[in-house]
Amino acid sequence: MLNADPVLALLSRALDAATLRQTVHATNVANADTEGYRRLEVIFSAEIQRLNAEGPALDSSQALQWAQAEPEIVESAESKVRLDQEMAQMAENAVRYQALLGAIERTLGTLRFAAKEGREG
Amino acid sequence: MGLFSIFEISSAGMDVQQARLEVAASNIANARTTGPDGLAYKPLAVVVRSAIADAQTAAGTPITAGQLPRPAVAEVVEQDVVPKLVYDPGHPDADARGMVTLPGVDPVTSMLDLISISRGYEANLRAFDVTRSLLQRTLELGRGR
Repeated sequence: MLNADPVLALLSRALDAATLRQTVHATNVANADTEGYRRLEVIFSAEIQRLNAEGPALDSSQALQWAQAEPEIVESAESKVRLDQEMAQMAENAVRYQALLGAIERTLGTLRFAAKEGREG
Repeated sequence: MGLFSIFEISSAGMDVQQARLEVAASNIANARTTGPDGLAYKPLAVVVRSAIADAQTAAGTPITAGQLPRPAVAEVVEQDVVPKLVYDPGHPDADARGMVTLPGVDPVTSMLDLISISRGYEANLRAFDVTRSLLQRTLELGRGR
């Protein structure tokens, strides 16, 4: 249903990515004392590089291509888990997640407004 | 794959810290536990492993969200530390020369372990809390009229 609207499609993909980031941060924190564990991180590799080469999105169909980008979990360059950095990044990601929720809320509000033919707020 | 599995990962992390705390407490409590024939208590250490961390060697291969590693206590091992010898001829466990073998528990290291355990536990709890509040906010989506 969220894919019916291009804006909602983009926002829900971004929300998925933020969820994945939260999962990976939690995994890093949980495994801080695990033998041989190497820190993980979420990246958008191949797809984003291709889209970046094409330049900024100019219309909604181009913007939707960004929604196709698949996040990947890979080992980060810094293999040791540092709790303070992990927590800081988790807090940042949580703020982003809540911003996305707000954006989804407002988009849904617009759709609701349209569905009610602008009769009430 | 959703926010719910993060709860499992964070609680696995808390379990591990709890196990470390038990072992650290045992080491501190047994700092003066002696035995006959110089057999003193051996300080213990927790070995934490996760299935994926061992298989992680193939670098560069993407990991799917479902196979994110959950830490678990693999074993509790005896630390290889030098015991302390104290002269105390009246002690029932003293040897022929009057020396008593005390466990090589270093109080400073033990206290540092406690701090690291408590930080680790707090971090996992915080991660749990952040996940919970994000989930709560998500459930409230669309509530506002």
